[in-house]
Amino acid sequence: MGSAVALKRPKQGNHYYFWVGVFFFIVIGVVLSLYFSARQIDYTWRWYRIPKYFAYQEQVEIRSEIDGEVERISKKDNNAVIRVKGTEGTASYAAPVSALGFEEGDQVYYGDVLATYKKWRVGILLEGLWLTLKVSIIAIVFGILIGLFTGIARISSNPALKWSAISYIEMIRGSPLLVQIFIWYFVLGTLFNNILAKHGIGQIPPLWFGVAALACFTGAYVAEMVRAGIQSIHRGQTEAARSLGMTYVKSMRYVILPQALRRILPPLAGQFISLIKDSSLLGIIAIRELTKATREVVTTSLQPFELWFVCALLYLVLTFSLSMLLQYLERRQMAV
Amino acid sequence: MIDVKNISKTFISHSTEVKALVNVTARINPGEVVVVLGPSGSGKSTFIRCLNYLNVADEGSITIDGIDILDPNTDINKVRAEVGMVFQSFNLFPHKTVLENVTLAPIVVRKKSKEEAKKKGMALLEKVGIQDKANVYPDQLSGGQQQRVAIARALAMEPKIMLFDEPTSALDPEMVGEVLDVMKNLAREGMTMVVVTHEMGFAREVADRVIFMDEGAIVEVGTPEHFFKNPTHERTKLFLSQIL
Amino acid sequence: MDFSLILRRFKTSSSYYISIGIFIMLVIGIASSLYYSALKIDYVWRWFRIPQYFVYQDQVEIRAQIEGEIESILIKDNKAVIGIKSDEEIEVHTVPISDIRVDEGDLISPGDILATYKKWRVGILMQGLWLTLKVSIIAIVFGILIGLFAGIARISSNPALKWSAITYIEFIRGSPLLVQIFIWYFVLGTLINNILAKKGIGQISPLWFGVAALACFAGAYVAEMVRAGIQSIHFGQIEAANSLGMTYIQSMRYIILPQALRRILPPLAGQFISLIKDSSLLGLIAIRELTKATREVITTSLQPFELWFVCAILYLVLTFSLSMFVQYLERRTQVT
Repeated sequence: MGSAVALKRPKQGNHYYFWVGVFFFIVIGVVLSLYFSARQIDYTWRWYRIPKYFAYQEQVEIRSEIDGEVERISKKDNNAVIRVKGTEGTASYAAPVSALGFEEGDQVYYGDVLATYKKWRVGILLEGLWLTLKVSIIAIVFGILIGLFTGIARISSNPALKWSAISYIEMIRGSPLLVQIFIWYFVLGTLFNNILAKHGIGQIPPLWFGVAALACFTGAYVAEMVRAGIQSIHRGQTEAARSLGMTYVKSMRYVILPQALRRILPPLAGQFISLIKDSSLLGIIAIRELTKATREVVTTSLQPFELWFVCALLYLVLTFSLSMLLQYLERRQMAV
Repeated sequence: MIDVKNISKTFISHSTEVKALVNVTARINPGEVVVVLGPSGSGKSTFIRCLNYLNVADEGSITIDGIDILDPNTDINKVRAEVGMVFQSFNLFPHKTVLENVTLAPIVVRKKSKEEAKKKGMALLEKVGIQDKANVYPDQLSGGQQQRVAIARALAMEPKIMLFDEPTSALDPEMVGEVLDVMKNLAREGMTMVVVTHEMGFAREVADRVIFMDEGAIVEVGTPEHFFKNPTHERTKLFLSQIL
Repeated sequence: MDFSLILRRFKTSSSYYISIGIFIMLVIGIASSLYYSALKIDYVWRWFRIPQYFVYQDQVEIRAQIEGEIESILIKDNKAVIGIKSDEEIEVHTVPISDIRVDEGDLISPGDILATYKKWRVGILMQGLWLTLKVSIIAIVFGILIGLFAGIARISSNPALKWSAITYIEFIRGSPLLVQIFIWYFVLGTLINNILAKKGIGQISPLWFGVAALACFAGAYVAEMVRAGIQSIHFGQIEAANSLGMTYIQSMRYIILPQALRRILPPLAGQFISLIKDSSLLGLIAIRELTKATREVITTSLQPFELWFVCAILYLVLTFSLSMFVQYLERRTQVT
């Protein structure tokens, strides 16, 4: 009898590992079929070309801007300062010691290369990633401010505040972000910049219209979270605060909002993750965030397959690590 | 009919091990009504759930009608079709009417025709006294009525054994009687029954044998007279003194 | 919350009506400031040009194809039947009688106008709106199928199914829809169409890659709803089904899914509304849905301000009426 029981577990175990194997088989199968079907249409995979769009070494040449003689090369650690003395004056150039191409006393002419060295530069994809993060952060900050204000207005008893908040929230949540971005850029942007131009003031770059569109978009969703957060606080809390003689504003400020904000935090972080994905639309109004950067690199490198997967992977890494962080924070908060 | 040999079951709850069953051996004969008594947390619910493979015993053997249900090659659903189970929380299907609750399993498991299942279902509803509610949904019934439907649902599979897991514990006191009456009638008809309950009156009146469990083990087994009048074990005496 | 009480006190006072006035003034203020600032940059509002993009009257000209003589013009009901006879053949046209340009006995050359009439045609915006609805409906249908399967796989104990489902769901939910659309169009689309071309089979139009992207996108979100819906069913239901001898598939089919699907219905409708908004991205791969149609009309009409607002309003009407419908359905199911 005991043997029947003993039989059971290993059997289940074997099944389990078999199906784990099947999973990896599926994953490898998908990757391979992609690889080979690309080969079939004579697509050449060139993964080695990708890293340079993250960071690349640039050849820096330091050229003399005057005719003259290398008067002195003073070295300090690995840095050297080259002083060139010409007929019209002297000029100094800084370069790494290893890069020097002249010695003291040499004659140099205008345009001669005094030193060459390599320098790491940030590639366009990394720049795009950074811009994606930057616009998302700016937009969430303004979005939270807008959302906090609108969320409180939404449950206010003042019809002017309440209806304005409802109109704003419903309009934003009922229309596509893409259309909103177009309205910000092509309608409001045209209006602002033309009026600014008439007054002779400088133009606002597309970036800020994009950020404004994202912030207003996020604000409406944050407003709903704020509303839900406040309404989730037990009414006993308000009653207790009011019974202590607090005004509406004071009870909000000291009792309701601190409790509500703690509950809003997790969905707010989720909204930020959403925002990172939504910011991909800004590429359409010429903001070179990650998606737009990828499109640009695709047109120059002609390696669309690798680049689109890299782009998707970068977003995945970004959103996944953020949601891990969020889960960690939530667990820590629960433990408190 | 049911032969339980040396089963043990350990749960892990909040990363501590809880021994729910320790080396339990029992035998239920055809036509017998066995009532399982014991304080809460004594493992009596785990015991009866193991008989229907809702909990899986870690070791030991359970043979029902000659079939070893812990054998991985056993089709457990065939065994379950022969064993009716009634739960503490009724577990009626809320999206089906009372009659549909009773006829569903005979139609999809036993492959009976709809007419046949309906006829049988109506007869069973009549038996538990609830035929006039055949076409309403469970949430419109009282707790006692729901539990009677649950009994009819189990009986519709024409089981050889009925398991009752605290069938009256979730009921308001005034509804306990109607459910116990149905169970008494079943016992009188000769159904093999295993009943986990706190109803001492039912145990005294209907049980052929009483099993008393405490801390995952069977402490004492005997006829109701023996159990209630001359308990041998100290823990049984303590339990009875608290209950009666 | 205590707000109803505040509201009651507020309503009795005249400041309630003042606030309503403020709200209406705010709305009028925003509209007119938009209007006048547009005038300031010499933008001419031409709202009258907009209706033609919904429906317009097209002048249809019916021309003769052969040389000959008008043999007969028979008037019947509201139509005229014009018969032309040449040496070899007879040509018959049936036209509305509104504007017949020939008489019996006239000599006709090929290309001569026999009659003209006006016909209502669907404008490009209306076509775009219809396409938006169409792709959303097709995508949600496939999305539900994918989501149902992936959601059940997600909670399966088989690791191959479970991990495949998790991988799929996390990939889709972690990356922007725009990038997914680009991958479907530029990577998978290129691959599939090139392979089809090699095999000499016809091409798949961008529309279907767009629909595939939307369906896969929606599928991941639906899967999470299905998972949550199934897990929200009380465990006792599964136990009751099991105790009656039902197999896993039978208990899913008859007990769990019917209950879960009823709970999933409201969020599913919300997902469909989302999908309508998300379908605006398909314009970027040359599918002429509402947003793309708007962009095209703008390039010909040069009335961006009116058109972008019209576009946003169309989406609002669509999503708002759908969410009203969903609320109505929810109320109805709650009653039963």
